[in-house]
Amino acid sequence: MQKGPASPEVKAKIIAYLETVTKAKSRDVAVAIGEKKGDVDNAVKELTAEDIVEYLYITTTYICLKGKVGAPE
Amino acid sequence: MTEKKTPLLDELEKGKWPSFVTEIKRAAVRSASAAELLPLLERSYRERIGHWKHGGIVGVRGYGGGVIGRYVDVPEDYPNLAEFHTVRLLQPSGWFYNTKTLRTVCDIWEKHGSGLTNMHGSTGDIILLGCKTNEIQPIFDEFSEAGFDLGGSGSCLRTTNCCVGPGRCEHACYDTLDACYNITNEFMDELHRPMWPYKSKIKFSGCANDCTSSIARSDCSVIGTWRDTLIIDPVAVKEYAANGYPIKSQVCDKCPTSCLTYNKETQELTIVGEECSRCMHCINMMPKAIHPGKEKGATILIGGKSTIVQSAFMSWVVVPFMKLESEDDYEPFKELMRGIWEWWDENGKTRERIGETIYRLGMGKFLRETGIPPVPQMVFRPRANPYVFWNQDELDKSGTMLDGSAL
Repeated sequence: MQKGPASPEVKAKIIAYLETVTKAKSRDVAVAIGEKKGDVDNAVKELTAEDIVEYLYITTTYICLKGKVGAPE
Repeated sequence: MTEKKTPLLDELEKGKWPSFVTEIKRAAVRSASAAELLPLLERSYRERIGHWKHGGIVGVRGYGGGVIGRYVDVPEDYPNLAEFHTVRLLQPSGWFYNTKTLRTVCDIWEKHGSGLTNMHGSTGDIILLGCKTNEIQPIFDEFSEAGFDLGGSGSCLRTTNCCVGPGRCEHACYDTLDACYNITNEFMDELHRPMWPYKSKIKFSGCANDCTSSIARSDCSVIGTWRDTLIIDPVAVKEYAANGYPIKSQVCDKCPTSCLTYNKETQELTIVGEECSRCMHCINMMPKAIHPGKEKGATILIGGKSTIVQSAFMSWVVVPFMKLESEDDYEPFKELMRGIWEWWDENGKTRERIGETIYRLGMGKFLRETGIPPVPQMVFRPRANPYVFWNQDELDKSGTMLDGSAL
């Protein structure tokens, strides 16, 4: 994972993308927004600490906007 | 608390071994959720159906792992198990505790959870079984205050694990406890923030006895070895002989590479060092007479895993020898792992372990793109390893056909 503060632009692009999907793997987010995977991981780390994004486990780990996905049916 | 009969579970209390049923019954006196576990498990045994589902979102702020969401599919029958999440705590290397620490773990857990623990889970962590969603953050806060941190779960670096190493074992070829601690601290982001196609595990074993079963159970196995020759104590060999120990049949005849020879007349044991595969058999059989060499370190292997996308894999050698004596020696290992994870993250499909990615794309591509030099130790016999593929253009240059014959 990249060290140092994340780019605000990358964080904004991640949030904008996650608004269009229910959940996504961080690699898919990186491809979709055209950013380096390491930069996306670093931004996601900050976004989760800010309670904007959360991790979701459904056979593998996804990310999603906080509150967008509930408990498993 | 509803009292229900559990005849099937009661069978598991018979016999001389400790019983998890007995322990759950003890916990049930004080915990409503533990009390409901027994009738639920009895029902599963009777119906032969599991009633648990897991996953979803449960965690603490900023963390993607360490808590596994668990729910029953019949919450109306077992309301105290509607949420029964598992918490994983990072364990100390080698599982060394003092009693004060153990009491702290239990006190916090009894305050917020079911009181049931699994010391330790197959992952190596301290496993705390059963808490409600609203208790997760307070649990984390209290454990954090007490000096603990969450372990790994999800598509991240899972909690690293090591054998007891030099703490209690004379065979350890490197300090597994220190290596595990140091390397875990280095990769905290990778452990707590799932970012990969699937899980990745590192296990540290001090010798080829592999007490963590790393070769079968971890994506990266770090197995202690030595690169010079076994040390044979001739006086101790004679003592074994004088005590009637069958050196030839138990040691030499069972050596996988037949590199040991015993002369019964002179009571001398000799070795052809180049043939030794460092399997530990002779050392295990004659620990007072045979010892690892002096130049100790570890072999790094990649790709072990249980059945998921593909069948179970054993990990295979990528670095035959790496020194691991000091903190400086850990740096090449850390760099190696960063490169391997980056390649896997780039190439791996969702739910594909690194061994499966290498299997799908070929060891040649993996080695070329990660910059790991190919070495003979990667293959058991030339052309007998299904994970190694040769490119036709390279074979053309070498004048060799795919079946090994000359062009």
